[in-house]
Amino acid sequence: MTATPTFTINRRQILKLAAVFGATATLAACSGPSLGAGAGAAEAGLTDWTGITPAKEITWWSNHPGTSKLIEEEIIRQFQAENPEITVNLVTAGANYDEVAQKFQAASGTNSVPDLVLASDVWWFRYMINGQILPIDDLAKHLEFDTADFNTTLYDDYTFTGNHWAVPYARSTPLFYYNKSVWAAAGLPDRAPKTWAEFDEWAPKILAVGGVTPLGLGKGTSWAAWWFCNMLWGQGGAYSDEWTMTLDTPEAIAAADYLQSLIYDRKVAAVAAVDQVADFGAGLTGCIMGSTGSLTGILKAAAFEVGTGFLPEGPKGPACPTGGTGVAIAADRTPEQQLAAGMFLKFLTNSENTAYFSSNTGYMPVRTSARDGETMATVYAEFPQFRTAVDQLETTRSQDWGRVFVPNADKELTTALEKIMLQQTAPAEAFAVASTAIATSFDENVSAYL
Amino acid sequence: MAPTRTSPTTTTPRRRQPLQLGGYLGLVLAIAIMVLPLVWMFLAGFKERDEIYTVPIQWLPEAYDLSNYAAALAAVPFGNFFLNSTITTVIGAGLKMLLGLTTAYAVVFLEFPFKKFVFGLVIFALLVPQQIVMIPNFTLVASLGWINTYQGIIVPGLASAFGTFLFRQHFLTLPISILEAAALDGASHWTRLWRFIVPISAPTIAAVALVSIVSEWNEYLWPLLVVDRADMMTLPVGLTLLQNNDGVTNWGVLMAGTVLVTVPVLIAFFALQKRIIAGLTAGGVTG
Amino acid sequence: MPTIEDLHSGLGRGPHRGTASVVAVTTKASSAGIVNTVSTPGVRRAFTPRKKKKPWKSWLLFLLFAGPNVALLIVFTYKPLLQSLYYSTLQWNLGSAAAIPVGLGNYVSWFTDPGTSRVVTVTLIFTVATVGGGMVIGLLFAVLLNRKLHGRGAARTIVVAPYVLSGVAVGLLWLFVFDPNFGITAALLDAIGVASPPWYNDPHWALVMVIIVYLWKNVGYVALIYLAALQSVPRDLLEAASLDGASPMRAFRNIVLPLLGPTTFFLSITTLLSSLQSFDIIQAMTKGGPLEGTTTMMYQIYQEGFQAGRAGYSSAVATILFAVLLVVTLIQMKYVEKRVHY
Repeated sequence: MTATPTFTINRRQILKLAAVFGATATLAACSGPSLGAGAGAAEAGLTDWTGITPAKEITWWSNHPGTSKLIEEEIIRQFQAENPEITVNLVTAGANYDEVAQKFQAASGTNSVPDLVLASDVWWFRYMINGQILPIDDLAKHLEFDTADFNTTLYDDYTFTGNHWAVPYARSTPLFYYNKSVWAAAGLPDRAPKTWAEFDEWAPKILAVGGVTPLGLGKGTSWAAWWFCNMLWGQGGAYSDEWTMTLDTPEAIAAADYLQSLIYDRKVAAVAAVDQVADFGAGLTGCIMGSTGSLTGILKAAAFEVGTGFLPEGPKGPACPTGGTGVAIAADRTPEQQLAAGMFLKFLTNSENTAYFSSNTGYMPVRTSARDGETMATVYAEFPQFRTAVDQLETTRSQDWGRVFVPNADKELTTALEKIMLQQTAPAEAFAVASTAIATSFDENVSAYL
Repeated sequence: MAPTRTSPTTTTPRRRQPLQLGGYLGLVLAIAIMVLPLVWMFLAGFKERDEIYTVPIQWLPEAYDLSNYAAALAAVPFGNFFLNSTITTVIGAGLKMLLGLTTAYAVVFLEFPFKKFVFGLVIFALLVPQQIVMIPNFTLVASLGWINTYQGIIVPGLASAFGTFLFRQHFLTLPISILEAAALDGASHWTRLWRFIVPISAPTIAAVALVSIVSEWNEYLWPLLVVDRADMMTLPVGLTLLQNNDGVTNWGVLMAGTVLVTVPVLIAFFALQKRIIAGLTAGGVTG
Repeated sequence: MPTIEDLHSGLGRGPHRGTASVVAVTTKASSAGIVNTVSTPGVRRAFTPRKKKKPWKSWLLFLLFAGPNVALLIVFTYKPLLQSLYYSTLQWNLGSAAAIPVGLGNYVSWFTDPGTSRVVTVTLIFTVATVGGGMVIGLLFAVLLNRKLHGRGAARTIVVAPYVLSGVAVGLLWLFVFDPNFGITAALLDAIGVASPPWYNDPHWALVMVIIVYLWKNVGYVALIYLAALQSVPRDLLEAASLDGASPMRAFRNIVLPLLGPTTFFLSITTLLSSLQSFDIIQAMTKGGPLEGTTTMMYQIYQEGFQAGRAGYSSAVATILFAVLLVVTLIQMKYVEKRVHY
């Protein structure tokens, strides 16, 4: 039988219900956040660490940067062997820094806050102003972290208002990777171009090889606005001067113009569709700017010999940002848990484990002693490519506040750069939109807490 | 099928021939569009990295080994995902059916002064998409300490709106004689529901249940919000862990994972297709 | 056989006059178990109502039977709806214990944001393409599957199969199909000498891509419902038309399409609701990008609430979308009250 169930939502009923909701909407105001009370960074020196017993179990949220899950697990195993009374749970809280951070933000105020969390360059400041992470100086002093041994640039990246808010862990810089077979076919010397001007001379020769795009570029948040620091700073520009956006300067515009000319005028660069590293590994592009953290992955993926070098210099000299992630301790945990977290953090970033982690991923050895130690020396001998990143560290500089300290700034800058790269939008126009949005976000989210 | 209606046409008029041919072409095209991506996924699960990252594309893998599957299983706890999906689906869909049945029974067979309003309340909920209320619900679930728990995944989506609607429609068609007999027996309403109504409604219930199970199994957004521990993730949520943006996207492993998620559902679908299709035809969306 | 519905009619519920009620899920599924109500407006069977005794007992039972479901709806649907309305007046970061009341500030921001027109456009294109496109393609498939062709049963199953798959899995597998270097579409287009469009890098192509994938996954459902409706079109009606010399096209337009009206209305509501809620495919394939070219309002609610952490702003977008949804549904029902006759 053919049939017709009746769908009896009746129009009048809907209107009646809607009216009821409207009238009682105000009643709902009885739940949710409290009004007016300010948040803000956690205060230092609140806990006296002496006499506190470490908790038995702590949780660490990571995305295992550089496919390092097994390495992290091994470090945990060794820590537990040394401290049998403490269990460390390693949790995959996302596939990248952004996902981990979003989870961490959403977990705030719930009972699922982890004790330790990855705090990447664009996220740690936001954790801090939301009062989600602990200033670690007191705890580090109590546990006798050898903080002086940290690479100063990398450790001081996490300084604000006189405190350190995280400890460097999987720290990276962009690195220039090139396909040695393509280089040879193009008749180029076996090294990275010293400057972008030199790359401009080389690019036509790579193009002449055929079937290969000379330079592959990456898009996406936590990425595009990072490597672009190289072109931007190389031209003498910057995202911001402290809190003031400086994307309207001729230097910034010149950097974006240069980027655009690579893609559209000379057609020597292309933006990867999904994964610039995969494209490079498949031989579709001749060279890329990639993270040092991708080193092991790239060496494994590529069927050809991979060369590494410093990022090319701009007219105003070398320019390379630091990046990657540190590890922070959550503020919203008991002192016992924080102490146990601190103990693990000390172990995770000691000289030996730093070397172990670096040698297996390609991330920077964040400690001077690890950089100069035996483990790394062996690695440098076998894979000279590892050495490049460490040497380049001398020329790196910390990032502009306008990208890393303002919530959503990285997203806005990424959007602007993607417009410039993918849609040939005029740089001045794209940058203006981003600058306005970042300034608004600064007013709404940051200025109140300074 | 309704064979009674299809009058037997034994001979096809000759002029229809090209039309038939067009029909078969259309059929083949439709099937190809539907099947090709699935085949591509299946083959990619066996491919080595250099067989995937190659231009022009290579259709068949050189060897059918399971290394990508091993890599996917090693990278993320698929066993847990499977278990979690099963638990949340069975409990979630089961309770939802129960709520739908009792509510529909109440609406059809019991007296209540604001019955129409109650039914309206249930039906109107169909117009409130989950995303509209996800922030308050997330806040509530978090404050209850239900993050990373089964109840956190299940309870907020438990209420049955569409199921209630379908069961009500069905109950209205039941012959009165059966119920009168039950009433004369002096059976309680609870007994009447389970002894008399449920058995004769079994086909409807099965059809609605299957659709409900499918949608619970595939539920993604809510579990994504309330679970952050890999060992508590359901299959769709866990699958996305294989997409690693920081390292190198490995299509082979990702497709192997996708096969692990889709193939059990496809097998179940082909095995139970008649009932599932009946359920879809009756329902469409489940509430 | 008198049914409960008749009893209800007898009790004075009457035919559904003035209500935008009847949505036809025309189905031939009775053999598979679904028995549907025969909508018989006008049947007013006299029936003796049962004697009412102890009404409060029935009330209590009603509460026991329906109470839990209604309670859940109130706690997880209606109360949050109101809360959302309230949150939309706050500047509140998700996870933060404190919030600042801003009145209609979030609404003002949304309406004045330069990105809003793009989000609205993307939402409109996505919705119209998936709902409209889905109905057209679904109907074509249904007509095809309704023809007496060998293997149509298997074809029907295959066409519906993607509908039961996880949206995330579907998104991921299509992501690989669309890969501009290593995917099938690139290879197929290359074979006919066309370069693969920049599916991942161009906001417009990306939108086309997610629409295609959404249709692939969901069109089988529409086809299924239309097929059920088509199979209930009396064949003698068509044969009569054919004898009258009407071309198949005309017979279809003049006889079949009007008969499909109620089905079309049902589908327009259900597919609109599910299209507006689509999240899985966008999240798995584009995450709203590139350049927010696939950010629908629904995706914006997620992004603002759970990625940017602007819970108040996100709630404002949610409220706006809900209001639109309500209005659209009301219009659909009003329209159908006028146009669809049974």
